[in-house]
Amino acid sequence: MRVYEVFLKRAGKEEFRHAGALEAPDDQMALTYAREAYARRSEGAQMWLVQRANIVAADPADLATNQTKSHRHNDGSVIAARRKQKRAEAKAGGGND
Amino acid sequence: MTATTMPATVSGLNHWAGLDEFEAFIDDGGMVEPGDAMPEVYRQEVFRFIEFHANSELMGGLTERDWIPKAPGLRLKQIFLAKTQDEIGHAHLLYMVAADMGVKGRTEMLEDLFSGRSRFHNVFHYQAVTWADQIAIAYLVDAAAFASQRAVFAQCSYGPYKRVLKRIVAEEGFHMRHGEEMLLRMAEGTPVQHQMFQEALNRWWWPAVQLFGPDSAPDDPLLRWKIKSERNEDLRDAYIQKYVPLLQGYRFQIPDDGVHFNEEAGKWVVSEIDWEPLKATMRQGGPDSKRRITNAANNWADTAWVRSAFNLEGAGAP
Ligand SMILES: [Fe+2]
Ligand SMILES: [Fe+2]
Repeated sequence: MRVYEVFLKRAGKEEFRHAGALEAPDDQMALTYAREAYARRSEGAQMWLVQRANIVAADPADLATNQTKSHRHNDGSVIAARRKQKRAEAKAGGGND
Repeated sequence: MTATTMPATVSGLNHWAGLDEFEAFIDDGGMVEPGDAMPEVYRQEVFRFIEFHANSELMGGLTERDWIPKAPGLRLKQIFLAKTQDEIGHAHLLYMVAADMGVKGRTEMLEDLFSGRSRFHNVFHYQAVTWADQIAIAYLVDAAAFASQRAVFAQCSYGPYKRVLKRIVAEEGFHMRHGEEMLLRMAEGTPVQHQMFQEALNRWWWPAVQLFGPDSAPDDPLLRWKIKSERNEDLRDAYIQKYVPLLQGYRFQIPDDGVHFNEEAGKWVVSEIDWEPLKATMRQGGPDSKRRITNAANNWADTAWVRSAFNLEGAGAP
């Protein structure tokens, strides 16, 4: 038996999304099962099956190193604080920025 | 159910009887996918647009890269590394989307770019003289790119393009916020720093404003097919309304004697734009085009061994 991951795409703007997995002896049976298990009520207009054995999965530890790269983000708080300060100064009537 | 082998391109099964039917589909908010039998004019126009976008990201990324060693301090070096990686990443995403349209392959697009046969944004034809130029680019050019990309993302009728734009626009927002934070340091720094940015602004204001291009043609097919959601002149005007007061708020001068607030219209007005320099730049290149393209072409040649090693590996793999 092989394990397949199922991806469905609705008609229109959505992209393919992971719907779930199933077990089947070959591609033909997998397609039939997948249609009956995951796409009975027009959950998708298109469907992909990918054998799980063909998926190259990353080690989460390798991704975790990217959790701490603060130089790849900017939440805009420095600029927001500056604008707030400017507004407060204007309100206080300082006027001479 | 029968299994079909996946074509090189992904989804899409639509056919249209003709251009009218195709345009009605677009008007209904339909999304075109690579496997669809899209009209040839759509395929060609959209491909050209995405290739141009990809080229611009790549050339922009290479420009950023030049400044990594010169960025003042480790923090800014890290930020410029991150930005460079983003821009090259944008190029990668876009070249894949473009290649899947079946007009040119990725290698062909890169070779066309490095041999000077392809076009890319006007702003990457000019020289960044000082560090302040790089800040002007990060603040003004990334903001202009953000605005025009967001307008493409808004309604984009080509599915794969829309999906990669989501990520690109988000990262461009990060670049813009960094740009303004760097600008803030210059604006509130020493008089020398303030002057340095003013000089950079003098060089970059018009190229940034011109990035949106001349007014859209009344029958621009990219607007008709919802690749663009706004006319060039509207995007340009919105940019001017936002950035003139922002820059003035930092006590910088817009390098335009004619810039003023029109009370009646309730909006900022700039002098009439002379498009000749832009057109000439796009035709024959600008002051820094040759150096930049040569640089990129040399990198491409220097890394040929990596590509051939990958190919050998692929051929010999079980
Ligand atoms: Fe970018
Ligand atoms: Fe950017």
